[in-house]
Amino acid sequence: MGILLEISENLQRGKAKNVKELVQQAVDEQIPAEEILEKGLLAGMNIVGEKFKNNQVFVPEVLMAARAMNVGAALLKPLLAQGDNVSKGKVCIGTVKGDLHDIGKNLVKMMMEGKGLEVIDLGTDVPAQTYVETAIKENCQIICCSALLTTTMPVMGEVVRAAEKAGIRDQVKIMVGGAPVTESFCQQIGADVYTSDAASAADAAVELCKAAC
Amino acid sequence: MTNRERFIKTLKCEPIGGQVPTFELVFFLTMEAFGKVHPSQRYYSQWNQMSYAEKSLHMNEMAQLYIDTAKKYGHSAIFVHPNPGDLEHIQWLLELIREKSGNEYFIMMHGDPTWGIPDGQTMMDFSIQMYEEPEKLNEESAKRVENALETARKLDERGHLLDGFALCSDYCFNVNPFFSEDAFDELIVPYLKEVIAEYRKMGYYSIKHTDGNIMPILKQMADCKPDAIHSLDPQGGVSLPEVRKIVGPDIALAGNVNCGLLQTGTDEECRTDVLRSLREGMENGRGYIFCTSNCAYTGLQLNRYEMMIEIWKEYGNYDRMKF
Repeated sequence: MGILLEISENLQRGKAKNVKELVQQAVDEQIPAEEILEKGLLAGMNIVGEKFKNNQVFVPEVLMAARAMNVGAALLKPLLAQGDNVSKGKVCIGTVKGDLHDIGKNLVKMMMEGKGLEVIDLGTDVPAQTYVETAIKENCQIICCSALLTTTMPVMGEVVRAAEKAGIRDQVKIMVGGAPVTESFCQQIGADVYTSDAASAADAAVELCKAAC
Repeated sequence: MTNRERFIKTLKCEPIGGQVPTFELVFFLTMEAFGKVHPSQRYYSQWNQMSYAEKSLHMNEMAQLYIDTAKKYGHSAIFVHPNPGDLEHIQWLLELIREKSGNEYFIMMHGDPTWGIPDGQTMMDFSIQMYEEPEKLNEESAKRVENALETARKLDERGHLLDGFALCSDYCFNVNPFFSEDAFDELIVPYLKEVIAEYRKMGYYSIKHTDGNIMPILKQMADCKPDAIHSLDPQGGVSLPEVRKIVGPDIALAGNVNCGLLQTGTDEECRTDVLRSLREGMENGRGYIFCTSNCAYTGLQLNRYEMMIEIWKEYGNYDRMKF
């Protein structure tokens, strides 16, 4: 079995210690960091994401895989910084104002990072203006809003309007999700994409970033 | 029959005729409905400094608020959130409700020692423990079960004024459960089964609640033999007839009115959903408790909840089914 495949398989099983050792071994064998990242770590996370969408694995398995991914990526980071590696896109994510729930938001963040996106986590209880200011300052391609409460969902509409008012609506895509959020709500407030689960959100974000390039 | 008797017969899946029982895990809208803060939202910073007379006024007022809520909306059961929540005050609250309303209502409170979905801050650590130290989680579960049973025993010894427990640890997201079937079998099932069996031996009923898509673990939950399964969350894609097929006719089903839709839908959409839930729930002629798929939560429009109750009054009667 090739070492990259081994990295991918150990990552899928959440074996952080093994992944760390294997990534180090791959680095020592002079395999380029980009290749280790793409064909080892990200390949493993992609499989985990697909299995999650198909109900073959569940959130704890995703978290374990993400932990293994982070351990491996930390070893590669200094090497990647030396090359021309750039992230696949930049997202700012947060749970909207008035809402302190962070489970869904954290999962989406983890899955997006697992796809190679750079994610700025704004936390919970985030005012509409903060999303927009961050998107401008950090040059994000995507604003991602989460809400668990029907009573806080309307803030997502405020984010759309704030982006319009700031004149960046055509430069940024707005994604929405959370237990009470639906496709029709997404359309109603003028957001761009609704997804029903974290893995689909990460897939959609990658596609949006590709289209933006 | 009293409301309590109707509720108990429904939990036993016996036919009752007449109106389908209803209740809510929490009816938070007491300020709008009665001009009073819901007991679970109160913070008594100087409770221990209060005279007995003052405490008594507060306790009586809370007890009366629970009863008034049940009376106004036709609830058959009262879910108490004792505040303060120590055993002494739980017992005091139960005594007051029984003094004021006799055995008219089924009374329940929280009592779930099993693990639920952890919050975002602790989820990673919990997940690591699930895979690397499951025995530690199970040791903790055993202690939690013993603590829950200890409370149940003490309440039993003090007159058994409580009828049952709602086991409210959430296991599921909208898309799927947090626990895989294997993890659920290892970390939840033994303790859920034990606590329900022990509650039953003491004469308590158990209503197992969880939000989200319960379908992948539903059979495992049903095998733990709760008296009822609550929430049946349409936002998690849960269908009442599908649940019935899996759990059989001897576990009561409660919930399924889409509480998200009550907030965001049109009147017509809500009406359609409430009627659907009633029709599907009443189909078996027994073992169905009408309620929202979570609770009457803070922020829900009171008029929407009242509309739901008006539809229930008109259509939720076994003796004059209009479907």
